[in-house]
Amino acid sequence: MAKTDFTRDQTINIAVKIGKILLKSGAETYRVEDTISRCCLVHGYEVDPFVTPTVIILGNEDTDSFIRVSRIGYRSTNLSLISEMNTMSYNFHKWDKSYEETCAWLEKKWRQPAPYGKWAVCLASGIGSAAFAAMLGGNSHDFIAAFVTGGMAMVVLKQIAGYHPSAFWENAIAGVAIGAVALLCCAMSVQCTMEKIIVGALMPFVPGVPFCNGLRDYMAGNLMSGNSRIAEALLFASSIAIGIAFVLRVWFIWGWDLWK
Amino acid sequence: MEMITAFFFASLATMAFAILFQAPKKIVLIDGIIGAIGWVVFIYLRHELGYTSFVSNFTATISLALASELSSRIFKQPVTVFVIPGIVPLVPGLGIYQGMFAIINNDYNNGTSILLTAMTDSVAIAIGVMLVSSLFRVIKVRRFMLQYRRSKRQMEMKVKGKK
Repeated sequence: MAKTDFTRDQTINIAVKIGKILLKSGAETYRVEDTISRCCLVHGYEVDPFVTPTVIILGNEDTDSFIRVSRIGYRSTNLSLISEMNTMSYNFHKWDKSYEETCAWLEKKWRQPAPYGKWAVCLASGIGSAAFAAMLGGNSHDFIAAFVTGGMAMVVLKQIAGYHPSAFWENAIAGVAIGAVALLCCAMSVQCTMEKIIVGALMPFVPGVPFCNGLRDYMAGNLMSGNSRIAEALLFASSIAIGIAFVLRVWFIWGWDLWK
Repeated sequence: MEMITAFFFASLATMAFAILFQAPKKIVLIDGIIGAIGWVVFIYLRHELGYTSFVSNFTATISLALASELSSRIFKQPVTVFVIPGIVPLVPGLGIYQGMFAIINNDYNNGTSILLTAMTDSVAIAIGVMLVSSLFRVIKVRRFMLQYRRSKRQMEMKVKGKK
Protein backbone atom coordinates (compact mmCIF):
# COMPACT_ATOMS: atom_id res chain seq x y z
CA MET A 1 0.00 0.00 0.00
CA ALA A 2 3.09 2.17 -0.13
CA LYS A 3 2.87 4.88 -2.73
CA THR A 4 6.03 6.09 -4.47
CA ASP A 5 6.45 9.79 -5.08
CA PHE A 6 7.28 10.62 -8.69
CA THR A 7 8.61 13.99 -9.79
CA ARG A 8 6.68 15.97 -12.39
CA ASP A 9 8.77 14.77 -15.35
CA GLN A 10 8.63 11.15 -14.22
CA THR A 11 4.84 11.25 -13.81
CA ILE A 12 4.40 12.77 -17.23
CA ASN A 13 6.76 10.24 -18.85
CA ILE A 14 4.75 7.39 -17.36
CA ALA A 15 1.45 8.96 -18.36
CA VAL A 16 2.59 9.42 -21.97
CA LYS A 17 3.78 5.81 -22.12
CA ILE A 18 0.43 4.52 -20.83
CA GLY A 19 -1.38 6.73 -23.34
CA LYS A 20 0.73 5.41 -26.21
CA ILE A 21 0.02 1.81 -25.28
CA LEU A 22 -3.72 2.50 -24.98
CA LEU A 23 -3.92 4.31 -28.31
CA LYS A 24 -1.91 1.60 -30.06
CA SER A 25 -4.32 -1.07 -28.83
CA GLY A 26 -7.32 0.78 -30.19
CA ALA A 27 -8.88 2.44 -27.13
CA GLU A 28 -11.35 5.30 -27.49
CA THR A 29 -9.83 8.77 -27.39
CA TYR A 30 -11.73 9.89 -24.32
CA ARG A 31 -10.42 6.87 -22.44
CA VAL A 32 -6.82 7.82 -23.30
CA GLU A 33 -7.34 11.45 -22.24
CA ASP A 34 -9.09 10.34 -19.07
CA THR A 35 -6.29 7.91 -18.16
CA ILE A 36 -3.51 10.45 -18.77
CA SER A 37 -5.13 13.18 -16.71
CA ARG A 38 -6.07 10.70 -13.97
CA CYS A 39 -2.47 9.44 -13.67
CA CYS A 40 -1.17 12.99 -13.40
CA LEU A 41 -3.89 14.13 -11.01
CA VAL A 42 -3.24 11.47 -8.38
CA HIS A 43 0.26 12.93 -8.04
CA GLY A 44 -1.11 16.45 -7.93
CA TYR A 45 -0.20 17.70 -11.41
CA GLU A 46 -2.83 19.10 -13.74
CA VAL A 47 -2.27 18.55 -17.47
CA ASP A 48 -4.37 19.22 -20.56
CA PRO A 49 -4.06 16.29 -22.94
CA PHE A 50 -5.16 16.52 -26.55
CA VAL A 51 -5.49 13.14 -28.21
CA THR A 52 -6.48 12.18 -31.74
CA PRO A 53 -6.15 8.64 -33.13
CA THR A 54 -2.65 9.40 -34.43
CA VAL A 55 -1.08 11.85 -31.96
CA ILE A 56 -0.89 12.65 -28.22
CA ILE A 57 -0.13 16.26 -27.21
CA LEU A 58 0.38 17.15 -23.55
CA GLY A 59 0.81 20.54 -21.95
CA ASN A 60 -0.74 22.89 -19.41
CA GLU A 61 -1.51 26.52 -18.79
CA ASP A 62 1.53 27.50 -16.69
CA THR A 63 4.17 29.85 -18.06
CA ASP A 64 7.00 27.42 -17.24
CA SER A 65 5.08 24.71 -18.97
CA PHE A 66 6.22 21.61 -20.86
CA ILE A 67 5.07 20.02 -24.07
CA ARG A 68 5.14 16.39 -25.10
CA VAL A 69 4.17 15.16 -28.53
CA SER A 70 4.13 11.52 -29.53
CA ARG A 71 3.01 9.97 -32.78
CA ILE A 72 1.27 6.63 -33.17
CA GLY A 73 1.81 5.04 -36.56
CA TYR A 74 0.16 1.63 -36.57
CA ARG A 75 -2.96 0.75 -34.61
CA SER A 76 -4.67 -2.58 -33.98
CA THR A 77 -7.33 -3.90 -31.60
CA ASN A 78 -6.01 -5.52 -28.42
CA LEU A 79 -8.63 -5.57 -25.68
CA SER A 80 -6.52 -7.38 -23.10
CA LEU A 81 -3.86 -4.63 -23.16
CA ILE A 82 -6.60 -2.01 -22.68
CA SER A 83 -7.88 -3.96 -19.71
CA GLU A 84 -4.39 -4.22 -18.14
CA MET A 85 -3.68 -0.51 -18.59
CA ASN A 86 -7.09 0.32 -17.13
CA THR A 87 -6.37 -1.76 -14.03
CA MET A 88 -2.99 -0.07 -13.67
CA SER A 89 -4.40 3.44 -13.89
CA TYR A 90 -7.08 2.62 -11.32
CA ASN A 91 -4.40 1.35 -8.92
CA PHE A 92 -2.01 4.22 -9.63
CA HIS A 93 -2.73 5.98 -6.34
CA LYS A 94 -1.26 3.01 -4.44
CA TRP A 95 1.48 2.15 -6.94
CA ASP A 96 4.59 0.92 -5.12
CA LYS A 97 7.12 0.26 -7.92
CA SER A 98 9.99 2.67 -8.46
CA TYR A 99 10.27 4.81 -11.62
CA GLU A 100 12.76 2.52 -13.37
CA GLU A 101 10.71 -0.59 -12.59
CA THR A 102 7.55 1.07 -13.89
CA CYS A 103 9.28 2.10 -17.11
CA ALA A 104 10.65 -1.40 -17.64
CA TRP A 105 7.20 -2.88 -16.96
CA LEU A 106 5.54 -0.55 -19.49
CA GLU A 107 8.25 -1.27 -22.05
CA LYS A 108 7.60 -4.99 -21.61
CA LYS A 109 3.87 -4.44 -22.16
CA TRP A 110 4.61 -2.37 -25.29
CA ARG A 111 6.76 -5.14 -26.78
CA GLN A 112 4.82 -8.23 -25.67
CA PRO A 113 3.00 -10.18 -28.39
CA ALA A 114 -0.79 -10.43 -28.45
CA PRO A 115 -2.34 -13.24 -26.35
CA TYR A 116 -3.59 -15.11 -29.41
CA GLY A 117 -1.22 -15.94 -32.26
CA LYS A 118 -1.71 -15.61 -36.00
CA TRP A 119 -3.22 -19.03 -36.61
CA ALA A 120 -5.58 -18.83 -33.62
CA VAL A 121 -6.89 -15.57 -35.07
CA CYS A 122 -7.38 -17.18 -38.49
CA LEU A 123 -9.27 -20.10 -36.91
CA ALA A 124 -11.41 -17.69 -34.89
CA SER A 125 -12.18 -15.74 -38.04
CA GLY A 126 -13.35 -18.94 -39.72
CA ILE A 127 -15.52 -19.96 -36.77
CA GLY A 128 -17.04 -16.48 -36.51
CA SER A 129 -17.87 -16.43 -40.23
CA ALA A 130 -19.43 -19.89 -40.04
CA ALA A 131 -21.55 -18.94 -37.01
CA PHE A 132 -22.74 -15.81 -38.80
CA ALA A 133 -23.75 -17.82 -41.85
CA ALA A 134 -25.75 -20.10 -39.53
CA MET A 135 -27.32 -17.14 -37.70
CA LEU A 136 -28.62 -15.76 -40.99
CA GLY A 137 -30.35 -19.07 -41.67
CA GLY A 138 -27.80 -20.94 -43.75
CA ASN A 139 -27.65 -24.74 -44.02
CA SER A 140 -24.71 -27.04 -43.24
CA HIS A 141 -23.09 -26.44 -46.64
CA ASP A 142 -23.13 -22.67 -46.01
CA PHE A 143 -21.61 -23.30 -42.57
CA ILE A 144 -18.61 -25.18 -43.97
CA ALA A 145 -18.15 -22.86 -46.95
CA ALA A 146 -18.24 -19.76 -44.71
CA PHE A 147 -15.69 -21.38 -42.39
CA VAL A 148 -13.30 -21.96 -45.31
CA THR A 149 -13.91 -18.51 -46.81
CA GLY A 150 -13.52 -16.53 -43.58
CA GLY A 151 -10.44 -18.44 -42.52
CA MET A 152 -8.86 -18.13 -45.97
CA ALA A 153 -9.47 -14.38 -46.17
CA MET A 154 -7.85 -13.85 -42.76
CA VAL A 155 -4.85 -16.01 -43.77
CA VAL A 156 -4.43 -13.91 -46.92
CA LEU A 157 -4.66 -10.68 -44.90
CA LYS A 158 -2.12 -11.88 -42.32
CA GLN A 159 0.30 -13.03 -45.01
CA ILE A 160 0.03 -9.71 -46.85
CA ALA A 161 0.37 -7.70 -43.63
CA GLY A 162 3.98 -8.90 -43.41
CA TYR A 163 4.86 -6.73 -46.42
CA HIS A 164 3.33 -3.62 -44.74
CA PRO A 165 1.13 -2.28 -47.51
CA SER A 166 -1.42 0.40 -46.63
CA ALA A 167 -4.53 -0.72 -44.74
CA PHE A 168 -6.60 0.02 -47.83
CA TRP A 169 -4.76 -2.56 -49.94
CA GLU A 170 -4.78 -5.18 -47.17
CA ASN A 171 -8.56 -5.00 -46.94
CA ALA A 172 -9.11 -4.81 -50.68
CA ILE A 173 -7.06 -7.96 -51.28
CA ALA A 174 -8.88 -9.72 -48.41
CA GLY A 175 -12.11 -8.77 -50.20
CA VAL A 176 -10.83 -10.29 -53.44
CA ALA A 177 -10.02 -13.48 -51.52
CA ILE A 178 -13.53 -13.58 -50.00
CA GLY A 179 -15.18 -13.17 -53.41
CA ALA A 180 -12.97 -15.74 -55.14
CA VAL A 181 -13.26 -18.45 -52.46
CA ALA A 182 -17.02 -17.94 -52.12
CA LEU A 183 -17.45 -18.30 -55.88
CA LEU A 184 -15.37 -21.49 -55.84
CA CYS A 185 -17.48 -22.91 -52.99
CA CYS A 186 -20.65 -22.12 -54.91
CA ALA A 187 -19.22 -23.81 -57.97
CA MET A 188 -18.50 -26.95 -55.97
CA SER A 189 -21.81 -27.37 -54.17
CA VAL A 190 -25.31 -26.52 -55.40
CA GLN A 191 -26.76 -26.04 -51.92
CA CYS A 192 -24.56 -23.08 -51.06
CA THR A 193 -26.05 -19.60 -51.18
CA MET A 194 -23.62 -16.91 -52.27
CA GLU A 195 -25.21 -14.25 -50.05
CA LYS A 196 -24.86 -16.09 -46.75
CA ILE A 197 -21.28 -17.13 -47.36
CA ILE A 198 -20.16 -13.64 -48.33
CA VAL A 199 -21.96 -11.93 -45.46
CA GLY A 200 -20.51 -14.42 -42.98
CA ALA A 201 -16.99 -14.06 -44.29
CA LEU A 202 -17.35 -10.28 -44.50
CA MET A 203 -18.11 -9.83 -40.80
CA PRO A 204 -14.51 -10.08 -39.44
CA PHE A 205 -13.54 -7.20 -41.75
CA VAL A 206 -16.55 -4.91 -41.26
CA PRO A 207 -15.22 -1.90 -39.32
CA GLY A 208 -17.95 -1.89 -36.69
CA VAL A 209 -15.50 -1.18 -33.88
CA PRO A 210 -13.90 2.01 -35.30
CA PHE A 211 -17.35 3.29 -36.28
CA CYS A 212 -18.81 2.72 -32.83
CA ASN A 213 -15.70 4.19 -31.16
CA GLY A 214 -15.98 7.24 -33.38
CA LEU A 215 -19.58 7.83 -32.37
CA ARG A 216 -18.64 7.40 -28.72
CA ASP A 217 -15.88 9.99 -29.19
CA TYR A 218 -18.50 12.38 -30.57
CA MET A 219 -20.61 11.77 -27.49
CA ALA A 220 -17.67 12.49 -25.18
CA GLY A 221 -17.02 15.78 -27.01
CA ASN A 222 -13.87 14.86 -28.97
CA LEU A 223 -15.15 16.03 -32.34
CA MET A 224 -11.86 15.84 -34.19
CA SER A 225 -11.04 12.25 -33.30
CA GLY A 226 -14.67 11.26 -33.90
CA ASN A 227 -14.36 12.62 -37.42
CA SER A 228 -11.10 10.86 -38.12
CA ARG A 229 -12.26 7.52 -36.72
CA ILE A 230 -15.43 7.56 -38.82
CA ALA A 231 -13.36 8.49 -41.88
CA GLU A 232 -11.11 5.50 -41.10
CA ALA A 233 -14.15 3.21 -40.80
CA LEU A 234 -15.55 4.43 -44.12
CA LEU A 235 -12.17 3.89 -45.79
CA PHE A 236 -11.99 0.28 -44.53
CA ALA A 237 -15.59 -0.43 -45.50
CA SER A 238 -15.14 0.95 -49.00
CA SER A 239 -11.87 -0.94 -49.51
CA ILE A 240 -13.41 -4.31 -48.58
CA ALA A 241 -16.43 -3.49 -50.74
CA ILE A 242 -14.19 -2.64 -53.68
CA GLY A 243 -12.39 -5.97 -53.31
CA ILE A 244 -15.59 -8.03 -53.31
CA ALA A 245 -17.28 -5.91 -55.96
CA PHE A 246 -14.29 -6.36 -58.26
CA VAL A 247 -14.57 -10.15 -58.16
CA LEU A 248 -18.36 -10.15 -58.52
CA ARG A 249 -18.15 -7.69 -61.40
CA VAL A 250 -15.63 -9.83 -63.23
CA TRP A 251 -17.92 -12.79 -62.71
CA PHE A 252 -20.87 -10.81 -64.12
CA ILE A 253 -18.92 -9.64 -67.16
CA TRP A 254 -17.68 -13.11 -68.02
CA GLY A 255 -21.16 -14.42 -67.34
CA TRP A 256 -20.27 -17.68 -65.65
CA ASP A 257 -23.43 -19.45 -64.57
CA LEU A 258 -21.96 -21.05 -61.50
CA TRP A 259 -24.69 -21.25 -58.92
CA LYS A 260 -28.02 -21.17 -60.70
CA MET B 1 -36.00 -24.18 -30.23
CA GLU B 2 -35.29 -21.41 -32.72
CA MET B 3 -34.25 -19.16 -29.86
CA ILE B 4 -31.86 -21.81 -28.46
CA THR B 5 -30.19 -22.23 -31.85
CA ALA B 6 -29.92 -18.44 -32.23
CA PHE B 7 -28.44 -18.17 -28.72
CA PHE B 8 -25.88 -20.91 -29.43
CA PHE B 9 -24.67 -19.55 -32.76
CA ALA B 10 -24.62 -15.95 -31.57
CA SER B 11 -22.51 -16.87 -28.56
CA LEU B 12 -20.17 -18.89 -30.82
CA ALA B 13 -19.78 -15.92 -33.18
CA THR B 14 -19.20 -13.47 -30.34
CA MET B 15 -16.58 -15.70 -28.73
CA ALA B 16 -14.76 -15.99 -32.05
CA PHE B 17 -14.81 -12.23 -32.40
CA ALA B 18 -13.58 -11.76 -28.85
CA ILE B 19 -10.54 -13.86 -29.83
CA LEU B 20 -10.18 -11.80 -33.01
CA PHE B 21 -10.06 -8.62 -30.92
CA GLN B 22 -7.55 -10.20 -28.47
CA ALA B 23 -9.85 -10.07 -25.43
CA PRO B 24 -8.48 -11.39 -22.10
CA LYS B 25 -8.77 -15.18 -21.89
CA LYS B 26 -11.04 -15.40 -18.83
CA ILE B 27 -13.51 -12.93 -20.37
CA VAL B 28 -14.18 -14.73 -23.68
CA LEU B 29 -17.03 -16.90 -22.34
CA ILE B 30 -18.79 -13.92 -20.70
CA ASP B 31 -18.48 -12.02 -24.00
CA GLY B 32 -20.24 -14.89 -25.74
CA ILE B 33 -23.17 -14.76 -23.32
CA ILE B 34 -23.48 -10.97 -23.62
CA GLY B 35 -23.46 -11.06 -27.43
CA ALA B 36 -26.07 -13.83 -27.39
CA ILE B 37 -28.33 -11.79 -25.08
CA GLY B 38 -28.28 -8.90 -27.56
CA TRP B 39 -28.99 -11.16 -30.54
CA VAL B 40 -31.85 -13.06 -28.84
CA VAL B 41 -33.54 -9.80 -27.78
CA PHE B 42 -33.18 -8.54 -31.36
CA ILE B 43 -34.59 -11.74 -32.90
CA TYR B 44 -37.51 -11.78 -30.47
CA LEU B 45 -38.49 -8.16 -31.08
CA ARG B 46 -37.93 -8.27 -34.85
CA HIS B 47 -39.40 -11.65 -35.80
CA GLU B 48 -41.86 -12.49 -33.00
CA LEU B 49 -43.27 -9.09 -32.10
CA GLY B 50 -42.61 -7.44 -35.47
CA TYR B 51 -41.10 -4.13 -34.36
CA THR B 52 -39.08 -2.05 -36.80
CA SER B 53 -35.40 -2.72 -37.29
CA PHE B 54 -34.35 0.54 -35.59
CA VAL B 55 -36.34 -0.13 -32.41
CA SER B 56 -35.21 -3.76 -32.18
CA ASN B 57 -31.56 -2.83 -32.61
CA PHE B 58 -31.86 -0.02 -30.07
CA THR B 59 -33.50 -2.20 -27.41
CA ALA B 60 -31.10 -5.09 -28.00
CA THR B 61 -28.11 -2.77 -27.68
CA ILE B 62 -29.43 -1.24 -24.46
CA SER B 63 -29.95 -4.68 -22.93
CA LEU B 64 -26.46 -5.88 -23.86
CA ALA B 65 -24.86 -2.62 -22.73
CA LEU B 66 -26.58 -2.95 -19.34
CA ALA B 67 -25.36 -6.55 -19.09
CA SER B 68 -21.82 -5.48 -19.91
CA GLU B 69 -21.87 -2.60 -17.40
CA LEU B 70 -22.98 -5.11 -14.78
CA SER B 71 -20.25 -7.62 -15.68
CA SER B 72 -17.62 -4.88 -15.85
CA ARG B 73 -18.43 -4.14 -12.20
CA ILE B 74 -18.30 -7.84 -11.30
CA PHE B 75 -15.10 -8.79 -13.15
CA LYS B 76 -13.27 -5.45 -12.64
CA GLN B 77 -12.62 -4.86 -16.36
CA PRO B 78 -13.32 -1.81 -18.56
CA VAL B 79 -16.71 -1.81 -20.31
CA THR B 80 -15.09 -1.74 -23.77
CA VAL B 81 -13.91 -5.32 -23.32
CA PHE B 82 -17.54 -6.47 -23.12
CA VAL B 83 -19.30 -4.02 -25.42
CA ILE B 84 -17.09 -4.25 -28.51
CA PRO B 85 -17.43 -8.04 -29.05
CA GLY B 86 -21.03 -7.88 -27.81
CA ILE B 87 -22.36 -5.58 -30.53
CA VAL B 88 -20.79 -7.61 -33.34
CA PRO B 89 -23.86 -9.86 -33.98
CA LEU B 90 -26.02 -6.75 -34.42
CA VAL B 91 -23.73 -5.01 -36.95
CA PRO B 92 -25.77 -4.89 -40.19
CA GLY B 93 -23.41 -6.83 -42.45
CA LEU B 94 -26.25 -8.32 -44.50
CA GLY B 95 -27.65 -4.88 -45.30
CA ILE B 96 -24.25 -3.55 -46.35
CA TYR B 97 -23.68 -6.54 -48.62
CA GLN B 98 -27.14 -6.45 -50.22
CA GLY B 99 -26.92 -2.71 -50.84
CA MET B 100 -23.50 -3.04 -52.40
CA PHE B 101 -24.63 -5.98 -54.53
CA ALA B 102 -27.63 -4.00 -55.79
CA ILE B 103 -25.45 -1.02 -56.63
CA ILE B 104 -22.95 -3.02 -58.68
CA ASN B 105 -25.93 -4.44 -60.58
CA ASN B 106 -26.99 -0.86 -61.48
CA ASP B 107 -30.04 -1.06 -59.17
CA TYR B 108 -29.38 2.26 -57.48
CA ASN B 109 -32.88 2.76 -56.00
CA ASN B 110 -32.90 -0.49 -54.05
CA GLY B 111 -29.22 -0.22 -53.17
CA THR B 112 -29.45 3.24 -51.67
CA SER B 113 -32.51 2.42 -49.59
CA ILE B 114 -30.92 -0.79 -48.23
CA LEU B 115 -27.67 1.02 -47.42
CA LEU B 116 -29.61 3.79 -45.68
CA THR B 117 -31.44 1.19 -43.57
CA ALA B 118 -28.08 -0.33 -42.62
CA MET B 119 -26.83 3.12 -41.63
CA THR B 120 -29.83 3.86 -39.40
CA ASP B 121 -29.36 0.45 -37.77
CA SER B 122 -25.74 1.18 -36.93
CA VAL B 123 -26.71 4.61 -35.60
CA ALA B 124 -29.29 2.88 -33.37
CA ILE B 125 -26.56 0.58 -32.02
CA ALA B 126 -24.19 3.47 -31.37
CA ILE B 127 -26.88 5.54 -29.63
CA GLY B 128 -27.79 2.60 -27.40
CA VAL B 129 -24.16 2.04 -26.34
CA MET B 130 -23.57 5.76 -25.77
CA LEU B 131 -26.74 6.24 -23.76
CA VAL B 132 -25.91 3.53 -21.24
CA SER B 133 -22.20 4.32 -21.01
CA SER B 134 -22.73 8.06 -20.47
CA LEU B 135 -25.30 7.27 -17.79
CA PHE B 136 -22.76 5.16 -15.92
CA ARG B 137 -19.90 7.63 -16.56
CA VAL B 138 -21.66 10.24 -14.43
CA ILE B 139 -21.45 7.96 -11.41
CA LYS B 140 -17.82 7.04 -12.11
CA VAL B 141 -16.64 10.64 -12.56
CA ARG B 142 -18.25 11.69 -9.27
CA ARG B 143 -16.47 8.92 -7.41
CA PHE B 144 -13.13 9.84 -9.03
CA MET B 145 -13.52 13.52 -8.13
CA LEU B 146 -14.07 12.60 -4.47
CA GLN B 147 -10.90 10.48 -4.55
CA TYR B 148 -8.96 13.30 -6.25
CA ARG B 149 -10.00 15.86 -3.64
CA ARG B 150 -8.90 13.51 -0.88
CA SER B 151 -5.46 12.92 -2.47
CA LYS B 152 -5.03 16.67 -3.07
CA ARG B 153 -5.79 17.39 0.58
CA GLN B 154 -3.18 14.80 1.57
CA MET B 155 -0.61 16.45 -0.73
CA GLU B 156 -1.30 19.85 0.83
CA MET B 157 -0.90 18.35 4.29
CA LYS B 158 2.44 16.85 3.21
CA VAL B 159 3.70 20.19 1.86
CA LYS B 160 2.70 21.94 5.10
CA GLY B 161 4.48 19.28 7.14
CA LYS B 162 7.73 19.79 5.17
CA LYS B 163 7.71 23.51 5.92
